[in-house]
Amino acid sequence: MHEHVISLADVSFRFPDDPENTLNGLTFEIQRGERVVISGPSGCGKSTLLYLLNRLYPLNCDGIDEGDIHLFGKSADDYRPGEINRRIATVFQDPDSQFCMTTVEEELAFTLENLRVPRADVERRIVDVLDQTGLANFRQSVIQSLSGGQKQRVATACALISEPEILLLDEPLAHLDPLTARNFVQWLDGLQRQTGLTVVAVEHRLDLWERFFEREIVLGLDGQMIADHPSDSKAPVAFPQSATGMTGRPALSVTELSVEISGKQLLAPLSFDVEEGEIAVIAGPNGSGKSTLAKALCGIYKHSGTVRSPGTGYVPQSPEFLFLTNSVADELAFSGLATTETLNDLAERLMLTPIWDAHPFSVSHGQKRRIAIGTMLADNRPVIIMDEPTSGQDTAGLQELFSLINERSREGITFLIITHDMEFAAAVADSILLINDGRLTGKFRAEDVWADPSLLDEHHLLPPRGADRREPTFA
Amino acid sequence: MSRLLHDMNPSVKFIIVTVSMLTMAFFFNPWTPLLFWVGILALQFTMSRINWKLWALMMLPFTLGAVGYLWTTLVFGADSGGEVIGSFAGIEVTDEQWAHAWSLTFRVMAFSTLSLLFAFTTNPVTFVMSLMQQLKVPPKIAYGTMVGYQFLPVLKDELTQIRQAQRLRGVSQDRHWWQRVAGTRRLLIPMLAGAVRKAERAAFAMEARGFTGERRKEFYRPVRVSGRDYVLAGVFLAVLAVSCAAGLIMGK
Repeated sequence: MHEHVISLADVSFRFPDDPENTLNGLTFEIQRGERVVISGPSGCGKSTLLYLLNRLYPLNCDGIDEGDIHLFGKSADDYRPGEINRRIATVFQDPDSQFCMTTVEEELAFTLENLRVPRADVERRIVDVLDQTGLANFRQSVIQSLSGGQKQRVATACALISEPEILLLDEPLAHLDPLTARNFVQWLDGLQRQTGLTVVAVEHRLDLWERFFEREIVLGLDGQMIADHPSDSKAPVAFPQSATGMTGRPALSVTELSVEISGKQLLAPLSFDVEEGEIAVIAGPNGSGKSTLAKALCGIYKHSGTVRSPGTGYVPQSPEFLFLTNSVADELAFSGLATTETLNDLAERLMLTPIWDAHPFSVSHGQKRRIAIGTMLADNRPVIIMDEPTSGQDTAGLQELFSLINERSREGITFLIITHDMEFAAAVADSILLINDGRLTGKFRAEDVWADPSLLDEHHLLPPRGADRREPTFA
Repeated sequence: MSRLLHDMNPSVKFIIVTVSMLTMAFFFNPWTPLLFWVGILALQFTMSRINWKLWALMMLPFTLGAVGYLWTTLVFGADSGGEVIGSFAGIEVTDEQWAHAWSLTFRVMAFSTLSLLFAFTTNPVTFVMSLMQQLKVPPKIAYGTMVGYQFLPVLKDELTQIRQAQRLRGVSQDRHWWQRVAGTRRLLIPMLAGAVRKAERAAFAMEARGFTGERRKEFYRPVRVSGRDYVLAGVFLAVLAVSCAAGLIMGK
């Protein structure tokens, strides 16, 4: 049976403050039980489209929409507020901001209360959805104590408990590490087979989904549909190949470093050396001590043992945490250590000149990262540690990050990068520091790590899928 | 020791605490607040299980404040007449001043003990749910508060991160409290910038799950008012009435 659950006819959408349309003349239909992905670069309006389907827009933003959206054969405008959310449920990207209650059970009940499900039915539906999603043991768990992957499963359970016909997913993997993401996709795959749900997802990193989707709708930057075709397994993000920037001179030398905070040993004594211009990736399971190591190296945490370094800087996952002033220029000049020539040189090299007088909070994420690196270099910290810079980045973001790190490395800057993304690590890393349970497993050459499945498995890592494919492509 | 106060309906408890405080405000003799204070302590001691060490620590600033009240009223209190009952370092204290000073002191002690009794025996989540169910606070406000409450640990964690990152930039730890107050701006702006984004996402997530802000008729976990709550309310009111009456008699 070919029943259209969603059909769009020449739909356009514009935010009230924008001169241009965010979405332009979209026409397509989605059938019951289909698995569709909407892809496209950041800012192409994919999320906006999703919000039009679950009717968060246009009401929440006073947006101006044209064309017809039919949901289950009825015009979208004819549904009362909240009515459509019974049949179309949504899972969002940020695991930290989609819950309002303390425990899983209360959170599930919150959805049911909203939908005015009779009390007699509530218990059955909670038990059913927990069984179906394999979360029965988590019923009384405190949501904030769960991991990111578990939170996304709970969010999915909260969506499924309304017994919807369509499940919308808004970049649900963006904040998960690749292994957790792969497990989530496999779990969702089983769930979809079992329920026959229609799944519509917005996603820019399709490589993590492997063969999950049947159909792909591609949006261009101007919000027009540029393709609608069967989905095929995607190649991972492509990075150019580049020579190492290692100079052979020592930069960072760590001997017997250990960290103890309030009587608990977080890092057992560890030693390693990093050369000038080297890019070292720090990898390991969540909570294994990667961030602790980073913070100890740059002096935020007290440690025993010795660290010899010409100056170590740190860029947190949110670069804005570093910002103290009202303009990019003041930000770089803050410490007063750099001369005007150095500042001009940094502005040039990091492409900060066009935003020199802008407020550091008002620029794009990639630019914030450049400013953060600039402040560290202006403070004479030529060894830079970056904490999870790949998290939540789309293809363009990752490529920009790659060239930023790569160019600096060839200028003699040393990098230590914490990441779960082994595709990225494979492209950028000279060496890999593996950490597990507060201990340094060792410092390895990147190729040696990919070749050792048991080592990867032990540290919850996935081998880069491009490892064997990249060579011929870029040779 | 029982946990009666912990199990009491939070809205009823809230009303009783408010009524008690308002009533206390009309009594200026030292006996009413003293008796009421002792009464509250006795109730808390017999009907709750709390960490008394933490309680004592929280009471410390209030106690200092109370002593301050006593001293300033004795020394600087307006001369409202009455008999001089003693003098100290050239300051003469009349009986009325003496009574007023102690009245204020005990009032501070009674108010702070009562507030801590509420804070120590009430689960914030149950309190918000009860406000919505018994006192008809709109669900938009109630669930909004709940989201804020869930965000607290996340925000605390972010604040630590921001402080660490800024220290790395060479912002030294401020030694004096006024520097620290001035420095909060630097900490708050990055945190609030993130919080605004989080708040919008949370609101979207709630709406996508059918939350419209309409009042609900049925709750999964109803917070009920039982006979026990009326009895407890009666006990509190009795303590209040006895202290008021005794104060009027003894204050004569």
